[in-house]
Amino acid sequence: MTHRIVVNVETGEVTQVEYTAEEQAIHDAAVAAQVAAETLAEAQAVITPTELVVTPSEPTP
Amino acid sequence: MTTTIDGSASVTINSGAILGITSGTAVASTSGTSIDFTSIPSWVKRITVMFSGVSTNSTSALLIQLGDSGGIENTGYISGTSIISNSTVGSLVTSTAGFVAASGLTAAGTFHGSVSITLLGSNIWAAGGSTYSSASGTFVVAGSKTLSDTLTQVRITSVTPDTFDAGTINILYE
Repeated sequence: MTHRIVVNVETGEVTQVEYTAEEQAIHDAAVAAQVAAETLAEAQAVITPTELVVTPSEPTP
Repeated sequence: MTTTIDGSASVTINSGAILGITSGTAVASTSGTSIDFTSIPSWVKRITVMFSGVSTNSTSALLIQLGDSGGIENTGYISGTSIISNSTVGSLVTSTAGFVAASGLTAAGTFHGSVSITLLGSNIWAAGGSTYSSASGTFVVAGSKTLSDTLTQVRITSVTPDTFDAGTINILYE
């Protein structure tokens, strides 16, 4: 399970609080969406030409 | 009359406020998706969030969120951060979900710096600072947020949120 760290500044106590099942489900969905977005961005980077060079043809005599 | 205050001591005035700067507890940001500093006293007027060598396992922007007795608030921020060095100078990232401490992170990069959050009045908090990511450059951070009640907690997290895997985070309050 995913967790968060909680620091009580009055006491200095540091505790680890586990996600609830609902929080975990939301987190898992967010991570999946992020992975999908990164995969899409990588795919677009592959097919996007970085520079287009146009070479004029020689005039025909 | 001369009053000498020992450097190791603190002075508490009638309102309960402690004169001087109080350090929270430095924690290793090596696990978990957020780090919450709770039970911040009601008299606090300025909080400084400090980062050293902080890293997460992915790329989403780091956020600082404020909270009160009703919990952490993740809406209503007016916040932006811009890169002031690196090849993407001027790149602006904004958020209404928190103060953006940095963006363009990578899993291998580390994050450093500090952001101060000061009480303007009527539960309005203004943030400003500068930070550095080894992955993306140096950032200027700014924003403001109106809480619905007195501030009691601060959360450091990221947009997804990702999982922290390195570094140290602490706050000062005064």
